[in-house]
Amino acid sequence: MSFSMSQILSPYDYKDHGKESLNKKAIISSVKTALKSKILYGVVAIIVLVAFVKAQISAFSSPVYTPNFSKIPTVQYFDLDHYDGSANGWQHEERVLFCVPLRDAAPHLPMFFGHMKNLTYPHNLIDLAFLVSDSSDDTMGELQKHLKEVQTDPDTSKRFGEIEIFEKDFGQVIGQGFSDRHGFAAQGPRRKLMARARNWLWTVAIKPYHSHVYWRDADVETVPPTILEDLMHHDKDVIVPNVWRPLPDWLGNQQPYDLNSWQESDGGLSLAETLDEDACIVEGYVEYQTWRPHLAYLRDPYGDPEVEMELDGIGGVSILTKAKVFRTGAHFPAFSFEKHAETEAFGKLSKRMGYSVIGLPHYVIWHIYEPSSDDLKHMEWMASEEIRQKEEAKIKKVYDKVWNKAFEDVQDVWRSEKNMFLKNTDMSNVRRIQVDWSGVDDNLDKQSNDKKLADFSPE
Amino acid sequence: MVYIKNQYIRYIRKKPLSLIAPISVLLLVYFYFFAAHGSSSSSSGNKYSYKKKSRGLFAKNRDSVILKNLPKNHISHYDLNKLSTSADSLAKKEEVLILTPMSRFTPQYWDNIQKLTYEHSLISLGFILPRNKDGDVALKHLEEAIKDAKAANQLKYKKITILRQDTNSLNSQLEKDRHALNVQKERRSMMALARNSLLFTTIAPTTSWILWLDADIVETPAGLIQDLTSHNKPVISANVYQRYEDESTQQPSIRPYDFNNWVESEEGLKIAAGLADDEIVVEGYAEMATYRPLMAHFYDAKGDVHTEMQLDGVGGGAVMVKADVHRDGAMFPSFPFYHLIETEGFAKMAKRLGYEVFGLPNYLVYHFNE
Repeated sequence: MSFSMSQILSPYDYKDHGKESLNKKAIISSVKTALKSKILYGVVAIIVLVAFVKAQISAFSSPVYTPNFSKIPTVQYFDLDHYDGSANGWQHEERVLFCVPLRDAAPHLPMFFGHMKNLTYPHNLIDLAFLVSDSSDDTMGELQKHLKEVQTDPDTSKRFGEIEIFEKDFGQVIGQGFSDRHGFAAQGPRRKLMARARNWLWTVAIKPYHSHVYWRDADVETVPPTILEDLMHHDKDVIVPNVWRPLPDWLGNQQPYDLNSWQESDGGLSLAETLDEDACIVEGYVEYQTWRPHLAYLRDPYGDPEVEMELDGIGGVSILTKAKVFRTGAHFPAFSFEKHAETEAFGKLSKRMGYSVIGLPHYVIWHIYEPSSDDLKHMEWMASEEIRQKEEAKIKKVYDKVWNKAFEDVQDVWRSEKNMFLKNTDMSNVRRIQVDWSGVDDNLDKQSNDKKLADFSPE
Repeated sequence: MVYIKNQYIRYIRKKPLSLIAPISVLLLVYFYFFAAHGSSSSSSGNKYSYKKKSRGLFAKNRDSVILKNLPKNHISHYDLNKLSTSADSLAKKEEVLILTPMSRFTPQYWDNIQKLTYEHSLISLGFILPRNKDGDVALKHLEEAIKDAKAANQLKYKKITILRQDTNSLNSQLEKDRHALNVQKERRSMMALARNSLLFTTIAPTTSWILWLDADIVETPAGLIQDLTSHNKPVISANVYQRYEDESTQQPSIRPYDFNNWVESEEGLKIAAGLADDEIVVEGYAEMATYRPLMAHFYDAKGDVHTEMQLDGVGGGAVMVKADVHRDGAMFPSFPFYHLIETEGFAKMAKRLGYEVFGLPNYLVYHFNE
């Protein structure tokens, strides 16, 4: 038997061949797995990249064909899909068309531009459109003065985007006598005129690249600087805040102002059915009992300002809409649409076109207080009353002085003086005279029967 | 112990920590690119975040530059009282806006408007194209036509605005119920939205007249604008006919095409009165015989081309509208308005606003014939 030495196992010459080969295998396989894990990483990375690029393409660039007219300046191309408006428009460079109808508004403009300067929505994304109509004061001059001031602000972030001023006179409305106070015949011409003015403004001002349209009256006294964001982040098609107005103490401090924001009621619908085609329901008339829930009356001063409420008719003091609402044809009907006109009919029309119309009952902006004719009368009376009371107080002062002097009680003084006079006089021998007065009063009593005292009744 | 065949899983089981690296890389990538699209952080004290959000790497808006050539201080001033619309439109340099919803580009249409004799620098054009394949094809052809005209120095219009519609439900319509009347209503409702979007984004403070000219109108008199404005009517519609070859006589002949120009009839009103609020009356359906006098049938080859007739409904083929009518709010209802929709609803709304609507039965324009 021949044994090779190597096959003899000794404790000194121990070599585990099997283990060595196993080690080799392990090394090779570990290298292999390392490679494989690298490949795995690579594959994962590629998948992620592809998914990311795909997401980018599908989500943000339209699959539709886009022409290139960069060399022909008179040709413009817009994909309206880019301008449908989102909840956080200010972060996506979405442009807002800010519409302001003006009429004899010169006194309100300083206040209005005060609010404009404070707006927190990026000013370069706001395009302003003004319509100056039928003004007898210097609305135009004031407007241009304020615009020039704001557009030359050293802080360029305060300057606004495109500003367009339009002038259009629609003529004066017919006077409102009692006889034609009912229905469209009276409210009609007034509302129709306002509706036309609003339509003339937005139809010429809106551009393909506007994502939102905001309507604002110039005579709003208190409004949060974040008004645009506050309304926009609700992401509704048409949205209005609650509008109240402050009042003097004697009228109770505050009052709902805009009653044109309401929800339709069965009462309103059945009333509408009884009216003829051109009739125009106006809220606040005793003749028109609609029993509609009004946005203004639902306010809770401590309520959550985010609470929303569905509306059918809306007021025009402050409206934010997606631009597509106007683009696709909603407007302020200058005719009786479903028995309403102007902003109330705009709400109804937008609803009819399938858009959401929302009001915020607990989010309030404050309209200025303009006294009514009754209020004015009362205020005049209050003013004259104040003057009268002042005059009366003055007279009373003099009177009191004279009175006090004339009717001063001097008995105590006289008593002491008398004592002084008679101090050294011996009164013991002064004759005491007794007079009998009995019977004198009897005579007087008899006389009083046929004679009266003079009539004296102090005021 | 269960033997797991998949070596990756085995590997992960052996060294669970090795997952940290790829997952953290994924998270980093996610946050870097997508975090800005999530909800904004409200920790800054401000109620809203004003951080600009990117629309992604490929979201470069390729629309035309939005604000350019702005006047000083960005303020411009227009006196709309001075805007005139008169029978003598060309002499008074009144601006005309030609609006065309286009789902198909016909070269004859383009050639025809290029031949119009009205001063081209007073004409602006507006097109709106549907958001589908048809729109893509038409847009490419239109782009080509405009560029060719520019190259040949034949492009003299004041301004051309091309819009792509934001809604694309025209496609989905095919799968919907096939009832013709329903489809008609849906189609015309979409059309109304397209017309309004086009109209209200292109109407300028200087626009006096608006000519609605369908993309299928391939032949009109060259003096179309002067002819229609010379009547000085708020709304006036030409009679739309179609040229065809008469099979019996083998002679070129003409036949009426657009039946949406009509005068209201007793029957029509009666039908409308019996309909639900969201239903419409349309011409050309046997189940809805309105017996309305149609302008298409009033054509008299020997008659005076300037003969006018009062209408209650108009089609959209070739209609001249005073811009004031649209500015007052007359639009194309996308919903049943007095049971009318689109151009017919527009005529009704113009009438509600106190304007009169006319047609010219003897003044023909021609529709494309496939």
